[in-house]
Amino acid sequence: MHNLGFALDGAWRVLLASLILGAGLPVLFALGIRSLAWGAGGDAEVHESGVTGPTPHRIGTVLGWACFVVVLAGVVLGITFIVASGFGKALSFEHIYPAIVNK
Amino acid sequence: MILVLVVVAALGFDFTNGFHDTANAMATSIATGALRPKMAVLLAGVLNLVGAFLSVQVALTVTNAVVKIQSSNGTPKPELLTDGGSALLLIVLAGLIGGIVWNLLTWLLGLPSSSSHALFGGLIGATIAGLGWAGVNWNGDGSKLDGVVGKVLLPALLSPVIAGVVAALGTWLIYKVVVGVATRFTDHGFRWGQIGSASLVSLAHGTNDAQKTMGVITLALIASGDWTDTKSIPFWVKVACALAIGLGTYLGGWRIIRTLGKGLVEITPPQGLAAQSASAAVILASSHLGFALSTTHVATGSILGAGIGTKGAEVRWRVAGRLVAAWLITLPAAGLVGALMWWAGHLVGGLAGAIVIFVVLLAVAGAVYQRSRRDPVDHNNVNAAWAPIASPDEPRLPVSTAS
Repeated sequence: MHNLGFALDGAWRVLLASLILGAGLPVLFALGIRSLAWGAGGDAEVHESGVTGPTPHRIGTVLGWACFVVVLAGVVLGITFIVASGFGKALSFEHIYPAIVNK
Repeated sequence: MILVLVVVAALGFDFTNGFHDTANAMATSIATGALRPKMAVLLAGVLNLVGAFLSVQVALTVTNAVVKIQSSNGTPKPELLTDGGSALLLIVLAGLIGGIVWNLLTWLLGLPSSSSHALFGGLIGATIAGLGWAGVNWNGDGSKLDGVVGKVLLPALLSPVIAGVVAALGTWLIYKVVVGVATRFTDHGFRWGQIGSASLVSLAHGTNDAQKTMGVITLALIASGDWTDTKSIPFWVKVACALAIGLGTYLGGWRIIRTLGKGLVEITPPQGLAAQSASAAVILASSHLGFALSTTHVATGSILGAGIGTKGAEVRWRVAGRLVAAWLITLPAAGLVGALMWWAGHLVGGLAGAIVIFVVLLAVAGAVYQRSRRDPVDHNNVNAAWAPIASPDEPRLPVSTAS
């Protein structure tokens, strides 16, 4: 059953990459939303009714958008991969940063 | 003339492929209200169309994964080319019909089954009927992940589990992170996250799946002697396939969208985001690593995972069980139809045989459409509450599947 070996080998790679991109990025996105809420203060955060909400924190807004930029970079990477593979190219992670190479 | 039937059947398959798989990308966004149903299918349709045009690479060797009707450079096996390639054309036609019939029946029952399994199943069945057991590439040659076992069965077992684990973990973490943030605030943010990740899935689907049909049509053209280049495909083939999958997606398999979006789990925006991101990541990562899998299995696994990862969320395991049962029988059932079609076509013989099985296809398609009119599911009632017992549109498993 050589196929089983190949499949398990492929599977754990897919799992690892997907955990980083498929669970990591959305969690970062959620962190971004949390930061924005912290930054906005007031009704964006859960607080006791009848009292004024938490005060806004400017830094939260900045942090939130920073998270979104990283998430967006991940999405751009995904689109680049789809387009590149359509044109017979591949993304190489050989030098850590992604580069487009011929298949 | 048989060639024309093959091309029409291939485009028909591409079309069913489109509406069968709309749900994979859009079910969660529709269920959570991130996108209005019509808007969601339009977006998915356009992205599939764009994706199909993006696939410049030739997927001519698509059938090589499961059957031996082509040599490794993509040209048809010479022994199948006598008599204007009709031997090969009949196998491909019967296989396509097997795939379409199975896609239509599962759609009628609202079951998200894999379109690539249906196509491969049909081709395997037709090949067994036409060339015998040895015509099927069961296990590859041992040098890489290949054959029915390596390209179809093992990924089908592993990919829903991978997607489920990723989505469950993602959902659990997202809920932890946004504790204390007002729901009104999070829903707005998650809406964009869902739309973005669903769009990625749509685009990837267009690039991958339209390519398969383009490869099959080009193979048929080469077999009949109407095309010789194995490095490129005719432009009209690309346009036709892109339009077929785009239109199919836009039509929207509402029954399947309903099952995935409402039937398995009552999806919330954070779950939708986690499930769709997990799907996108698993699909892209595996296609990067050459690990062939079905978008349908991944999307279903992700949604189940999102349900498992949420405290107190109800997962309807009975529905999930039906889906898994449908997955298990997709390959043999489509294969059975493919084989029956090949025998019927072969028995009648020649062009008449091809026409006969094509007419059978039209009859089945018409009957399925008529049956679907009795309890229509469309963009108006796709999100209606899921009645677990005695609902007319609750998916059931067919007792007998071959027509």
